Amino acid sequence: MFCDGVADLDASERARYADLLVLIAAADGELVREEIQLLEGFMGRAMVHPEARTSIRQGLFDTNRLSNLLKNAEQETLRYVLRDGVLLAAADGDYDRRELRILKKIAVAAEMGEDELKSLFDWVSSGWEWHADGITLAKLPARNGSLSE
Amino acid sequence: MLPDTLQNLPRDERYAYARLLAYMARVDEEITVDELAMFEQQLGKALLSPNQREVLRRSLKNPPSLEECLDGLGPEAGRLALRDAVLMAASDGTVDDDELEVLKEIAEHLGLVPDAVQQLIEWTKIGYAWMQDGYDMLNALQG
Repeated sequence: MFCDGVADLDASERARYADLLVLIAAADGELVREEIQLLEGFMGRAMVHPEARTSIRQGLFDTNRLSNLLKNAEQETLRYVLRDGVLLAAADGDYDRRELRILKKIAVAAEMGEDELKSLFDWVSSGWEWHADGITLAKLPARNGSLSE
Repeated sequence: MLPDTLQNLPRDERYAYARLLAYMARVDEEITVDELAMFEQQLGKALLSPNQREVLRRSLKNPPSLEECLDGLGPEAGRLALRDAVLMAASDGTVDDDELEVLKEIAEHLGLVPDAVQQLIEWTKIGYAWMQDGYDMLNALQG
């Protein structure tokens, strides 16, 4: 389910996956807490080694590596990056044009068409709704019927 | 896998949240790769220090008691932990009886409505379907 094939990629591909997500997060020139939270979550789910995570985090300050990463990453990795990159770009509540530009570049490298990319954006929107339901649900009422906080 | 109110909690609450998930991961005596990946994901989202993460990873081998885990949990961290404990329990495709019992115990400790766990399981199923849609979409691209 939430633990999908991304953890099955080779360690080097998982590092590229995380590197590319870092570039997406840094694309708009600022990194908000929500983006850091998602990045850390994605690296955790991909089971990137803790030491590798340290060097990947440094990538936030070196955003000129996109073409190399796109050239070397496998198609499967790029598709995971796109899926999770769109989630990441949405994390601060808005898609910045610089985030969109980098996502489009990755889509081209992943041989994904515009319609497919749009489907991915739609999928992310529905995920937001589901997740918002979860946050609402986490405020489950107490036994006396009043909100527990 | 979206940003959460978890990040707004104080660090000790986030630590208590993650400790309960460590306990949950070991309820059925074995930890699957799916559960481990989910645990690592939530550990990342909790934005804990590398040292705290290390301690929590070690606690997977020797988890604290449920009572110890619940003692440190505030109401909001507790509800988020319960929600994510349901996600974690379901991450290997099924919530078994031992896991269900613990989840109900947590909900009771938090004083939630009797069907709280069932509501969360239903929500989790919808999430499964949503995630599977994303996965199917990626697979379709392979042609």
